[in-house]
Amino acid sequence: MTITPVILSSTVADDEPPVSLWRDAWHRLLRNKLAVAGLAVVILLAFVAVFGPWLTPYDFLTQDLNARNQAPSLAHLFGTDDLGRDVFSRVVYGTRTAFVVAIVVTAIAVVIGVALGAMAGFFGGMFDRIVMWFTDMTMSVPNLLLVVVINASLKTPITAWMEARYQATLNPFYRETIWVDFLLVFGSMALISWPPYARLVRAQVLSIRGRPYVTAARALGLTNRLILMRYIVPNAIGPLIVSVSAGLGTAMVLESAFSFLGVGVNPPTPSWGNMISDGLRVWQHYPHLLAAPAAVLGLATVAFSFLGDGLNDALNPRGSK
Amino acid sequence: MAAEPLIKVENLVKHFVVRLGAFGERGATVYAVDDVNFDIFAGETLSLVGESGCGKSTTGFTLLNLQKATSGKVLFQGENIVSLDEKRMRPYRRELQIVFQDPYSTLNPRMTIGEVVGEPILFHKLATKAELPERVSRLLADVGLPARFAQRYPHELSGGQRQRVAIARALACEPKFIVCDEAISALDVSVQAQIINLLLDLQEKYGLTYLFIAHDLAVVRHISTRVGVMYLGRMAELASREQLFSNPLHPYTKALLSAVPEADPELEKTRQRQILTGDVPSPLAPPAGCRFHTRCPIAMDKCKAVVPEWREVVPGHHVACHAVEQGAAG
Amino acid sequence: MTAPADNKPLLDVRGLTIEIDTRRGPAVIVDGINLTVGKGETVGVVGESGCGKSLTMLSLVRLLPNKIRVKSGTAEFAGRDLLKMSKSELRQVRGGKIGFVFQDPMTSLNPVMRIGDQLCEPLIYHRNMSKADARERAIELLRLVGIPGPEQRIEAYPHELSGGMRQRVMIAIGLACDPELLIADEPTTALDVTIQAQIVDLVKDLRKKLNMSVVWITHDLALIAGLVDRVAVLYAGTVVEDAPVNELFARPTHPYTRGLLASIPKLSDERASRLSSIGGTPPEPGRRPKGCPFAPRCALAESVCHERVPVLEPVAGSTGHRVACFVAQRQMMEAA
Repeated sequence: MTITPVILSSTVADDEPPVSLWRDAWHRLLRNKLAVAGLAVVILLAFVAVFGPWLTPYDFLTQDLNARNQAPSLAHLFGTDDLGRDVFSRVVYGTRTAFVVAIVVTAIAVVIGVALGAMAGFFGGMFDRIVMWFTDMTMSVPNLLLVVVINASLKTPITAWMEARYQATLNPFYRETIWVDFLLVFGSMALISWPPYARLVRAQVLSIRGRPYVTAARALGLTNRLILMRYIVPNAIGPLIVSVSAGLGTAMVLESAFSFLGVGVNPPTPSWGNMISDGLRVWQHYPHLLAAPAAVLGLATVAFSFLGDGLNDALNPRGSK
Repeated sequence: MAAEPLIKVENLVKHFVVRLGAFGERGATVYAVDDVNFDIFAGETLSLVGESGCGKSTTGFTLLNLQKATSGKVLFQGENIVSLDEKRMRPYRRELQIVFQDPYSTLNPRMTIGEVVGEPILFHKLATKAELPERVSRLLADVGLPARFAQRYPHELSGGQRQRVAIARALACEPKFIVCDEAISALDVSVQAQIINLLLDLQEKYGLTYLFIAHDLAVVRHISTRVGVMYLGRMAELASREQLFSNPLHPYTKALLSAVPEADPELEKTRQRQILTGDVPSPLAPPAGCRFHTRCPIAMDKCKAVVPEWREVVPGHHVACHAVEQGAAG
Repeated sequence: MTAPADNKPLLDVRGLTIEIDTRRGPAVIVDGINLTVGKGETVGVVGESGCGKSLTMLSLVRLLPNKIRVKSGTAEFAGRDLLKMSKSELRQVRGGKIGFVFQDPMTSLNPVMRIGDQLCEPLIYHRNMSKADARERAIELLRLVGIPGPEQRIEAYPHELSGGMRQRVMIAIGLACDPELLIADEPTTALDVTIQAQIVDLVKDLRKKLNMSVVWITHDLALIAGLVDRVAVLYAGTVVEDAPVNELFARPTHPYTRGLLASIPKLSDERASRLSSIGGTPPEPGRRPKGCPFAPRCALAESVCHERVPVLEPVAGSTGHRVACFVAQRQMMEAA
């Protein structure tokens, strides 16, 4: 009995170490200069967001009425605003707001979207149809309208309830109206952000579910749980990473847009959006008040976009070749 | 062939319902496999041939219960496996394996070759974790790959090498029966011969039974014991390799054989070809009566109305055609 | 049959070298190919995936994909170098004097255009025909390629036709401007055998009627046995053997050609006899070995094969048969 002799591989040299697709993608990402620049900016902003309070020379609320509307200087890198607050400190805290909102909103949206999308794709049938109908309905409502409606209808009752709790318990927690802002911003933004994730994951699962390696796993008798965890999820996750990276940037823009319109994070909590809104009113006289937050917002958006593109090329090398 | 068959396929039917319209309110039925009967004997290679859409792959998938049969039976060890749910099917899965066509999507790109081949061994508890590396190297050696490939990822391998891994994965379960679904069609010519040889060697070594699904008749002629010809969801003819190639009875088989080019310029110049006109009709609306009548050169009125019976015209030679006489020797 | 020797060939490719950009810098994927096609001659270009057979043909009309380019060589078509033509001259050739038929008719046809319009386009562009004349000609072309009811089918969209019909439409487009040369790139690979037989018959028939040259690119030696006059066998970007079709099948000389022919199952084979096969796999494009590209898989390889690249030399005792193999050439010398 002879078996075909061992064949020489012409595809890989023996001395090259095995490379998993993840490692391969990472190397491709590092070769993409724009993506690396984007990644660096994102890491820098994240660092600023986390360690902001230890980096800023001033508190974001401290008013110095003797130093109002100052132009940028060594003492105040981005100048001061009409209440004499340090704009640099406020931009730093705004970064914190932007990151907290973007991460929490995206996390909620991804959890909802992935769970619904994966189940819809895997089980199909009636469940799939209901989930997709629900997804389409959510997507068809204008985002801004939904957020305004939620804010307008829920803000007053929740604030009143918080005040009542404070009166009853005297717990200072209930005095922090920032929580109401965050709850409403997170809630309404997550509500409009999950459908694209659900659609993406459903499409991924549907396409992977039909691939021969999944059929082969079924033919081996593997359980549904094993097939989902070892075959479908690892292969579906690439496009999700790309989408999340882009989604974080989008969430920051959304937060700024809502804050700009007064339905997001409210003053005095600094947000790039409400700073831009304030700055816009006086931009002819004090352009730095508009330029500083707008530039940082722009930088963050571009960084996430480059990173997203780079991830896309790295994780789907065929598309970029 | 007096032996009891390993697998008995009886009146197997697979219809797909495709939903049309915005709300899926209109349904259309694809008649993929219709009333197919055949036996597979232990140790043989039964080939199913036919053109795209003839239902040969669907037959393979339905037979393995990877797609739910609409009706009919597939008997394996006395059990009608197509009626089993996934849990009760599991013990049979180990014995009935499949190798697919496309070497580039047959392996999970996120798993190493060692994990791909080792997974079924651990899952079916055919070896302990400690024994696994040795098992995996032995399986890789069986398919002609060096043991160091266990560390590699699929994208680092050529198409032929991946197909060898897919065969090793199927072998890992120690199966009795393997469906080869166009397993060599996507490979380069020089690599095809290697994989054909490998399949033949493994059959001899492990006493495997193959259902070989293919469209390349030269390959089928080379490796089959018996050959079944399908057309638009139905079996047209089934006979031993010698019978089918030297004495085809069904007009479709004759046309199919005549369409295969031979690697011989002298022969090709003188050869009389019977070229079919027209295309294969849609399986959404197969013709009534004999499904081949729209392209058949010898179709009669009866063929348009009456479905020809699946008969054994001489021992071991089945055909479904009104024009073939009982006992026809050709 | 080959064109008379004194007649200049219609297409004369010399020393064509094509490069691809890789991570490790440029790599040669087609290495100095020589290929001629006589007037009225049908040439089969045979090779496995990645051997450069399609790139060679695409480079002639400068349709190479990104990152791939011609490094050197000439390609004279009717006396003019295609590789040096201006863009506007080239456009006249493309789809005009040289017609193309690709493998996959579904992706080569524009799905949102009626097939009639796709057929008329080259006629209006290259022939300055009026719309009405072009339509007449389109119907005539569809009839020529054997599409029933051409007057109605001209209004159809590609998805309304079967695979075989779509390939016929592709051929009709390729033939639209009476090309002198039709380049068919695996035109039947995606089709079933009975449809393949129809298409092969159609091309055989048309070539006689229209007196054109045909280059048929394929991986299937059996398919071209009864179809072409001459065969060029490609391996890893080089022509390893070039011979009249009868000669090639009767006296294959290069070890690769011999291996390929031997690996095709034959009528006379016993069931389940071992096929002779070539070990290993073809090199990836851009990772071609030093010396003869086939040497790592060749049972006859000698040390010289790993060092130097063999060139095509005539095979003794036959006309028009050339082979690029040190071992075969030495054996011929010794026999002589």
